[in-house]
Amino acid sequence: MNSVIFKKELKRNRKNTAIWTAIVVVFTALILSIFPSFSEMGEEMAKLMSSLPEEYAKALGMDEETWSSIIGYYGTYYGIYIILLIGIFTASTGATIIGKEERDGTAEFLLTRPISRGSIVWTKLMALGTLFIIIYGIQTLSAVIGLLIFGEDVNWPVFTTMHVHGFFLVGFFTASGVLMSSFLSSKLNYMGPVVGLIFGGYFLNAISMAVEKVSWLGYFSPYHYLNLTAKNGVLELNLITCLGASVVVAVFLWISNKRYLSRDIVG
Amino acid sequence: MNAIELSSLSKFYGNQCGIESVSFAVKKGEIFGFIGPNGAGKSTTIRTLLGLLTATSGKAEILGMDTSNEGARIRERIGYLPSEVDYYSEMSSKELLLYHAAIYKVADAEKKIQELATYFQLELDRPIDDLSYGNKKKCAIIQSVLHDPEVLILDEPTGGLDPLMQNRFFELLERQNKKGVTIFFSSHVLSEIQRMCDRAAIIRDGKITAVEDISTLLSKQMKMVRLVTTSVNNIVLPVGALNHHQSGQKHTFDYVGPTQDLVIWLSSQSIIDVTLSEPDLERIFMNYYQS
Repeated sequence: MNSVIFKKELKRNRKNTAIWTAIVVVFTALILSIFPSFSEMGEEMAKLMSSLPEEYAKALGMDEETWSSIIGYYGTYYGIYIILLIGIFTASTGATIIGKEERDGTAEFLLTRPISRGSIVWTKLMALGTLFIIIYGIQTLSAVIGLLIFGEDVNWPVFTTMHVHGFFLVGFFTASGVLMSSFLSSKLNYMGPVVGLIFGGYFLNAISMAVEKVSWLGYFSPYHYLNLTAKNGVLELNLITCLGASVVVAVFLWISNKRYLSRDIVG
Repeated sequence: MNAIELSSLSKFYGNQCGIESVSFAVKKGEIFGFIGPNGAGKSTTIRTLLGLLTATSGKAEILGMDTSNEGARIRERIGYLPSEVDYYSEMSSKELLLYHAAIYKVADAEKKIQELATYFQLELDRPIDDLSYGNKKKCAIIQSVLHDPEVLILDEPTGGLDPLMQNRFFELLERQNKKGVTIFFSSHVLSEIQRMCDRAAIIRDGKITAVEDISTLLSKQMKMVRLVTTSVNNIVLPVGALNHHQSGQKHTFDYVGPTQDLVIWLSSQSIIDVTLSEPDLERIFMNYYQS
């Protein structure tokens, strides 16, 4: 790893990271701060839930726990919004952290320095990993603080599992972004494919949960393998899937590295 | 020992030829010209040398190291000045040059940058995006020499520079060369090659058509002659005249041969006016090979 390039990458992405981190932290604080109001309306919310079509509630991952416990409530929003927001940020950064150099013409400057291409790619991936950990770590910390402030009897094992699963899920999206950019033209705006990948994965899983006939669609979604919502106060850690996700991420990054090593910089 | 050596280097983009079987050697301490019209394959050759493009076949060495697997070690010892300057828009010139210096671990970087910036009249604190093409080029020149490279690879280096800065740049190159730096000078401007280089390779349609001493090239070099004679009579053209056209008293022709012979011939003619000019490269190439 090259420390000069690493520092520059962090500096280059700091503004974007700060903005996205602020968004997820504010969102986390907002949803947790309004939970006490919802929980006070426990019976009314339960009635409202029962009036919702069952498929709709399932698709959104809502059940009685959504309104009766803060972790059930948080889990619903965590799966729908927070993972999507963090995933969009890290996957789009992953897609551009190398490709942007080509698109802006700066790849020529970078690749004519005395650093191997492999070292440049891994340095950029390390910087990406650091940004990922920063946003994910700060969001997790803000959620812990929010739960402590606004919740009572927080089910911490469920919270931990949820965030471990979320970590691997976002890791998968991030690696997918990097892989995508190694195959697509550097001139492409990656935001569309990245959002498509994350939303696509989410909605495939939502549809598969809502409509039994097409439950097989869930197999094509990473959300299916890394569950984020508790059932009856239990969410078991799926270690095998986490390990599998790590292998997939490693393979995606290895393929991307191979692609970048042999890529022509036409100028 | 050769500083740069290319052996049958080829680069194809699918079926399209970028360069084919390019071979030549640049001696250590030499200023070597690489000349050809736009699209001839100069930049492709340089980009393949630098590892930006993967060669389809053949071999290239810089300072005795294979460019295909020792790229990083080679780049420690070379400086590269690209034809198109694309730098990080969010940086100022100073930040970019300090970034470059940090990668190369240049001692006294700030002082060196300041000296070179003063020499080239470059404002260091302005964002790169706000700089004119010429100023970006100055920034590129400074980064190419800041780390005291042993070999300088220059791709169309004077584009965007005004005549004063071009002169300063050439003086800088001469000083570098006196220190023993090998210079590989790619250009489509023949006069720059003539001024700076000892030898030159000529590339056309991706193939090397000649590697010559500049003195040999000069002796074969063509002039475009326009003259107005005192009468409409035919004139006896000098040896080496090509493509003669006459319209009344006006004559135009290309001349390939010693300039002194041309001057002697001109002095024997009854002339009202004469213009000698350097024709464009395509014309030179055409006549160079005809002759």
